[in-house]
Amino acid sequence: MNEFEPKIVTIVTELLERSDREDTTVELGATLHGDEGLGLDSLETAELSAILEDEFGTDPFGAGLLPETVADIVAFYADATAASA
Amino acid sequence: MTAPRTVIVTGGSRGLGEGIVQHFLDAGDRVATCARSETDAVRAWQADPAYAERFLFRKADMADREQCTAFFKDVVAEWTSVDVLVNNAGVARDGILALFSDEDSDTVIDLNLKATIHLTKQVVRNMFAHGGGRIVNISSITGLTGYRGLSVYGATKAALDGFTRGLAREVGSRRITVNSIASGYLRTEMSHGLDDGQLNQIIRRTPAGRLGDPEDIARAVSFLVDPANDWITGQVLVIDGGLTA
Repeated sequence: MNEFEPKIVTIVTELLERSDREDTTVELGATLHGDEGLGLDSLETAELSAILEDEFGTDPFGAGLLPETVADIVAFYADATAASA
Repeated sequence: MTAPRTVIVTGGSRGLGEGIVQHFLDAGDRVATCARSETDAVRAWQADPAYAERFLFRKADMADREQCTAFFKDVVAEWTSVDVLVNNAGVARDGILALFSDEDSDTVIDLNLKATIHLTKQVVRNMFAHGGGRIVNISSITGLTGYRGLSVYGATKAALDGFTRGLAREVGSRRITVNSIASGYLRTEMSHGLDDGQLNQIIRRTPAGRLGDPEDIARAVSFLVDPANDWITGQVLVIDGGLTA
């Protein structure tokens, strides 16, 4: 587990709680969109992007990427940290 | 006493913007504003100990995206979140369209519309992350009724009203309200290309019998951004002394 994993899982969990989906368990492999995954709609995706930028100063959506899973988001920050080390 | 809100007022160095900034400072809020040049009003606010730690000014041309973004980042670096955005910065160029220069069209559209959209996007993202907020776009009755010689200016204001309605629908569920104020003709309109003859004609046709003052608009802004008014969104509030009634 890297340092970003628990933070990002918490961010996504709180985002879902605000949408009355507190029963959804957020796992690394969960897909962000679609009925089989977390089911984020476009506004929730924008909200997630904004919250990630506010927390970390940058976000994968703003960088032009389209992360499909929670793990993809974690990897974005882990890779950025590794690249700057 | 409630905690001071963080308020951004674009184009707050003179005219209507100056009146709106003063209104929020008087209410105890933290106010950030920007303009292309520093004015006596800005220098007075900066020097006044009553506004220490509550007033931020940056010299910036909002039509320049880099300067606009730098201004926003400075505000967030200072105060973290934005509670209220008043998109007031605007410019008018008068002239018959058939003789209007492309450069003047670009100037008006770039500041009144494109810069407003650019800054609002950044502020909305901040509001997403911090639990909501209030946005007011300063529009104009010229966007509703039209005015000879102000077709491009009026087009940008009508577009702002459309922006208000669309964005209000988009972000309403996130505790963000978005409204327009369609301002009538103010005394400060002297700088918007209307001559004395045109202004006197407007006064004669205005039921209230006078041009507006910045404070007339500032009070309406204050109403729309009141935390209690969370059920007013997507509206265009006309404040014009009854001219368009």
